[in-house]
Amino acid sequence: MARKILLVDDEAGFTELLKMNLERSGAFEVRIENDSTKAVAAAREFSPDAILLDVVMPGMDGGDVQAQLQANPLLARIPVVMLTALVDSTELSEGAVAQAGTQMVLPKPVNLPLLLRVLDEIAPAA
Amino acid sequence: MEKLSIVESVLDNLPVAVFAKDATNDFRFILWNKKQEEVTTIRAEKAVGKNDYDLFSQESADYFRSVDKAVIKRGSLMKVPEEIIETKNGREVHLRTVKIPVHDEETGRLLVVGISEDITEQVKSREQLERLNRHLVQANQELQYTQMQLIQAEKLESIGRLAAGVAHEVKNPLALLLLGVDYLSQGIVPDDPNLEKILQQMRGAVERADRIVRGLVDFSSQRSLSREPTQLSRVVDEVLLLVKHELTRSNTKVNVRMEKDLPHVFLDMSKFEQVLINLIINAVHAVHAMGGVESRLIKIRARSESLEEVVKNQGARKREVFRSGDRVVILEIIDNGHGIAPADVNRLFDPFFTTKATGVGTGLGLSVARRIVELHGGELTLENRSKEPGAVARLILPTKLETSKVRTLTGRVKVGSPPKEIDTGATELTS
Repeated sequence: MARKILLVDDEAGFTELLKMNLERSGAFEVRIENDSTKAVAAAREFSPDAILLDVVMPGMDGGDVQAQLQANPLLARIPVVMLTALVDSTELSEGAVAQAGTQMVLPKPVNLPLLLRVLDEIAPAA
Repeated sequence: MEKLSIVESVLDNLPVAVFAKDATNDFRFILWNKKQEEVTTIRAEKAVGKNDYDLFSQESADYFRSVDKAVIKRGSLMKVPEEIIETKNGREVHLRTVKIPVHDEETGRLLVVGISEDITEQVKSREQLERLNRHLVQANQELQYTQMQLIQAEKLESIGRLAAGVAHEVKNPLALLLLGVDYLSQGIVPDDPNLEKILQQMRGAVERADRIVRGLVDFSSQRSLSREPTQLSRVVDEVLLLVKHELTRSNTKVNVRMEKDLPHVFLDMSKFEQVLINLIINAVHAVHAMGGVESRLIKIRARSESLEEVVKNQGARKREVFRSGDRVVILEIIDNGHGIAPADVNRLFDPFFTTKATGVGTGLGLSVARRIVELHGGELTLENRSKEPGAVARLILPTKLETSKVRTLTGRVKVGSPPKEIDTGATELTS
């Protein structure tokens, strides 16, 4: 059965292409949420095996989304991978990411083989 | 006899030098008054009976002789606006001379009568004035050059602040491109419905990255001030692209409303972007300090008004900048942040005045922004909103190039040598 991935990023083009790449092998089913304020609701509804979460988003940033997921006992266990194009490492360590205690941060542009390995590790195929 | 002494007395007390030469006798002097003695430092008894070649250098005498001959030939008065004679002790005397041909009926002689006014002091003050003016022009050029350097320095500072955000905005399309490449490199299936979409996205990503990089390069360029008719909405779009990251990160919404068919304004895009970036970043800081993520809002408004309306709305002092009947464009950047503290109101535009933490700003931003707006013939003010919390930055921009002011300036500096072309392009500088 395909593993379910929730992809939260305001960049519609990026999410569309990442979805195509992940779904191509048939190993994943990807749901896109471009509006970060709806991310938690989408997680509740979709029950993903992993969440890919952008950091800088309008409305609600990745750190806030992560904090809300953590606060919800039903969603707190879902592994989250932060994806970010932030270039300054201090922004990452001082910012939302560190506070939210995310398991993994991957830089954008995304190295696809690396992302697949990470997903295999945090959300292994049944 | 008495009659003659009266004439001599008058001649000797005239404030001008008077002399007469006998053209029929080798131009020998027959009259030489007191003032002429003073000017030439030659006594009358030494001069009368001699000619120019006996008294002056060969070169001067040649010159005097040629003028005298011309006066005789013409048979009418001749004015020499400025001539220089060198006295025996080496002093240069500047004279304004009138030479008149006179036919002495009693003796039948042909005379050249000269009347010279000593204008040495006038010439000296004129030269002094020219020299001072040249210094003034040079100092003005240096000041303009320094101002341009200051503007550029402040711009580099804001580029530094924007760089991380711009890199982020470029990385997003790069991420998209890489995903496209990843997809395509896994093999191309001819009927794959995704292919067209992917290529379209990749093309869009390249264009987007190109646009933002080009925007930053244009913004960074150090050129002299060059103003072109520009649509204000275009500048606002470019600027919002450059500050997009700062807006997103601080969760600040921007609402842009610009009047339809706004007249063009004469802008130097790169320098004017610097003003808007500065004002928007200031507004971002102001709303950010307020908390309340939901409501952080910057409104950008533009409208066009006639000067009468401006005067009515903004106070009469605008009259100094704009002429009656001028059509102006008013651009406002309105935030709902903490506003301006009463103590700071009069210092906002002072160089190095800042309310931000060390390292966040140099305190030059607003003073440079105002200078840039003034170089555009416009005005920048900053005040608290009247009814709601927050501040409004208001730019009033002319819709015409202020040609008359340029003319006044060049007219003023023209006294000396003509002003050299200055590459600071500050011909519009009117202060």
